[in-house]
Amino acid sequence: MTMRYEVFLGCAIPNRFNNYESSMRAVAEHLGIELLDFEGASCCGTVVLKSIDEMSWLGLSGRNIALAEKRGHDIVTPCNGCFGSLKDVDHVLHDSEEFREKVNEALAPLGLRYTGKVRIRHFVEVLYDLREEIRRRIVRPLDGLKIAFHPGCHLIRPSSVAGFDDPELPHKVDELLELTGARSIPWPLKLRCCGSPLLIASEDVATRILQEKMRSAIDAGADCIVTNCPACHMQFDVQVLGLKDEDGSSLELPALFVTQVLGIAMGLDHDRLALETNRVSLDPIAEVLGL
Amino acid sequence: MTVAGSWGKFDSFEGRKFDVLDAEFTHAVTELLGGQDLTACFQCAKCSAGCPVSDKVNIQVHEVMRMLVLGIRDVLQTDMIWLCTTCYTCQERCPQGISITDILFGLKNMAFRNGIAPPGYVAARQTLYERGRLYEPTDWEREDLELENVPELDVDETRGLLERLGLMCLQEDE
Ligand code: SF4
Ligand code: SF4
Repeated sequence: MTMRYEVFLGCAIPNRFNNYESSMRAVAEHLGIELLDFEGASCCGTVVLKSIDEMSWLGLSGRNIALAEKRGHDIVTPCNGCFGSLKDVDHVLHDSEEFREKVNEALAPLGLRYTGKVRIRHFVEVLYDLREEIRRRIVRPLDGLKIAFHPGCHLIRPSSVAGFDDPELPHKVDELLELTGARSIPWPLKLRCCGSPLLIASEDVATRILQEKMRSAIDAGADCIVTNCPACHMQFDVQVLGLKDEDGSSLELPALFVTQVLGIAMGLDHDRLALETNRVSLDPIAEVLGL
Repeated sequence: MTVAGSWGKFDSFEGRKFDVLDAEFTHAVTELLGGQDLTACFQCAKCSAGCPVSDKVNIQVHEVMRMLVLGIRDVLQTDMIWLCTTCYTCQERCPQGISITDILFGLKNMAFRNGIAPPGYVAARQTLYERGRLYEPTDWEREDLELENVPELDVDETRGLLERLGLMCLQEDE
């Protein structure tokens, strides 16, 4: 199994969630996953560009895929938005000769060509392949921690594109989290969108969705919320700050990335897991995390 | 009911008169990416049942689907179009296998060309064209965490590409 990937960071992670990149790199090194710098990568376009103009979106992400193809590497990304966008473009270009030709015509002056040889993966997919290895490396169990895991939409839907987990009953990342001794608890709105994509159109509606999500996680008894996407994390660790319920009670919950949870349990250096840059206070779970 | 601070040009169907049966419009929608099965919609409303914004919009997604089949161009003005979070729950579950979310993306494209789009999208188009990225790296934090610089991007490459694809001159009937 190849463990060598061009790592597609996207724009949101280097902008606001460097803790995700840092913890991902620490986990990757520990497990022997080689991450190559993705020279020349642009934005994936994400649902924003797809909403504005599908042809431009196909071209922009088509270029990213073609760059990796030229260098002969598969792609891994820790972002659901990039994963969904790159996979979706790959899916369209694979199926439609018409779009493939149009994109290749636009890429030709750059000396690039999409033929569809590159595999696009989410970082948690690669981790799932390595679950036995991770199991062996748990040195600091997180027994007793109750996690509300939020898979995020584009990791699992549409399943015909994502092809990773059961779209109605996902379990793979939960399995990874439970290797640490923590429990991934069931919560009613687990599969519900976090609302993040609406921050650009209506922060008000995005916030109402966030309130519903947080209430659901808190009522289910979660100690923290865990994600594998910077856009979702934006809601759970930034937009949530100071957010209150109608009755005035706080809707904040400690928010962590999957890579931070696994990193702690595998005994990795806390500086590299960059826990101090998480915005919502981790104090309520400091003891079980050993902070 | 109006949704405070929300997006949308009209509040409800009430009192509205629509031009219907615009066959050309319905046809154009079936030509969109994912639009091929549009007319198979039998109005079970399962899409709306699982939609995170059903209770936050005035025109729900199954109603949008009906408006498309009935050839009502005014659908582009409904709040549902731009308040779809793109979560794909409806598309995953539609018993008729209709690519609902993908159709909504195509409708957003149409609306954008007609000048119906939240200002954030207009600004995002400009940023993507100029910089090839939506957000820039926060270098001081990366230094603190001893992360390498983000790999270089030659924006002339992405600008040229987006020019060839016509991003900055989107117009109706293109
Ligand atoms: S779920 Fe499918 S068939 Fe049912 S109303 Fe929605 S689009 Fe139509
Ligand atoms: S993809 Fe859009 S329309 Fe479909 S369920 Fe999600 S928010 Fe609603």
